[in-house]
Amino acid sequence: MVSRKITVTNASGLHARPASVLAAAAGKCDSEVIIQVGERKVQAKSILNIMAAAIKCGTEIEVCCDGPNEEAELNSLCDLIAGGLGE
Amino acid sequence: MKQLQVEKTASRGIAVAPVYYYQEPDLTPEDRGISEEQVSGELEKFENARKCVMEELGQLAKTSEIFAAHQEIAGDFMLQDSVCTRIRTQGKNAQLALTESIEEIANLFAGMDDEYMRERAADVRDVGKRLAARLKGKKLPDLGSLQEECIVVARDLYSSDTVKMNAHFVRGIITQEGGVTSHVSILAKMMNIPILVGVQGILEQVRDGSLVCMDAEEGSIVIDPEDEVQKQYLEKKAAYERERELLLALRGKPAVTKAGKRISLCANVGNVEDVRQALPVGIDGVGLFRSEFLYMERDHFPTEEEQFQVYKEAAELIPSELTIRTLDIGGDKELPYFSFEKEENPFLGWRAIRISLELREQFKEQLRAILRASAFGHVRIMFPMIISLWELGEGRALVEECKKELREEGIAFDENIEVGMMIETPASVLQAHAFAREADFFSIGTNDLTQYLLAVDRGNKKVANRYDFMHPAVLQAIRQVIEAGHTAGIKVGMCGEMAGDTGAVPTLLEMGLDEFSMSAGAVDYVRSLVLNN
Repeated sequence: MVSRKITVTNASGLHARPASVLAAAAGKCDSEVIIQVGERKVQAKSILNIMAAAIKCGTEIEVCCDGPNEEAELNSLCDLIAGGLGE
Repeated sequence: MKQLQVEKTASRGIAVAPVYYYQEPDLTPEDRGISEEQVSGELEKFENARKCVMEELGQLAKTSEIFAAHQEIAGDFMLQDSVCTRIRTQGKNAQLALTESIEEIANLFAGMDDEYMRERAADVRDVGKRLAARLKGKKLPDLGSLQEECIVVARDLYSSDTVKMNAHFVRGIITQEGGVTSHVSILAKMMNIPILVGVQGILEQVRDGSLVCMDAEEGSIVIDPEDEVQKQYLEKKAAYERERELLLALRGKPAVTKAGKRISLCANVGNVEDVRQALPVGIDGVGLFRSEFLYMERDHFPTEEEQFQVYKEAAELIPSELTIRTLDIGGDKELPYFSFEKEENPFLGWRAIRISLELREQFKEQLRAILRASAFGHVRIMFPMIISLWELGEGRALVEECKKELREEGIAFDENIEVGMMIETPASVLQAHAFAREADFFSIGTNDLTQYLLAVDRGNKKVANRYDFMHPAVLQAIRQVIEAGHTAGIKVGMCGEMAGDTGAVPTLLEMGLDEFSMSAGAVDYVRSLVLNN
């Protein structure tokens, strides 16, 4: 398993649009993708789970990938988050 | 022929059309448990329903983004996991597992702080309904398939019902539940569809296809009308539509009288949503922002920050003046979290500015919130129920105190913010000359002023017919106040119901009133009167 910490930069946090972009991207990964927010583990493949976590702008999250292509997938997910998830 | 009368109305317009009876099928889940052998069958049922719904939503998503979001929810991992776990490990049938999972997830959203997230609970429930209907083999009613003119009659309508509504054929809407501020009310007004909500008994009174006449402004409904009645409604409808077209053509025209005086037409609002709705009408500002709703909707005194966010949002929306009335509570308005002593005469009791000047801490929080919002627009402060120069002086001194604090904290605000007062007590009328030297503007609150001047309680049915803002004493009082204001060089407005009353407007114009503030729906009518006077 590989993981990396990253800060959410979307002004209104991981609301519907960015949450759906992230869930779609995570859904394409072979890895199991978990986002650690404080004590909470969030299933990144679930838009409901991401939205329910109400992750605000400026929050540090840890993206964890576990699977055959974990390294590459972690990189692409982190790039996506750093780039504002299409916003 | 049957007739219904509704008291609270919030739109205008007339419709005559057959009923489209919009009724949800019973989606209560089956209560049976399942055996181990049935597990795979139930899992398969859910999977099939999910696939069908995903496909259905995929089709709908081509025309509306809302459905794209619904499609994602239907396909969501968390939902799927939650349903399947219930089937596998708790021996629940697919319907029950679905209903429980949807409620669990919806409640998760409903319990959040953020209003946007709370509203997502409705999306989750919508998807749940779609899946449940599929599992039960029932058809959901579909407003998108309307092919003929109709009046939609329903228990209540949610965004998911109306978004696909083929509004082209909808002539009117009647719901048994819901309030005038509900989603469907707002939507209908935006689409200019006459609507009546909270109509008790309508579901029992009509059937699919019943002919109905409705007048949204009067609040009248006639079911299965006689020919003569139907004709009357059709004539009223034609007259209404002609008038409406003339009024709409005047939007965007500044309200200038024939004598060349520019009149300010403003809206009375209770929250930011009201402001949004009022803007397209073409208003010159908000003459009355009723801050008490901020206090009444909560379970605690709203904090400075909570108030600031609301005032700021309103100030940014309105390019022109935003007049915020400080807390006007007491009388007939109470707070759920603050106990008022029982009073013999609440309207002559502890209310409005009298409360604010006693609960200074809370009052200062409100003043600071308003001052901070003044950095984002043209904000004015207005005190209610003033009877003495001392009260006005105290209020102004507190404003200065708050300004000083903000200055020291380096927080921006409008140094020249105007501080005005309502004229709604006989004392303020008689002393208007003195007040006009101390206040930056007047706004006449005719609702209270009329009842205080005439000693008539509006709420008392026995005497309500004596309540009349065209009474000579009230008119004389208004004239006096306007003259006093103008002598001192300040503007005089009005924010009572009278300002939006088409019968009263010509008189008020003649008296020299500068600003008319009313419910947004009345603005078009008053504008046309101003232009013709």
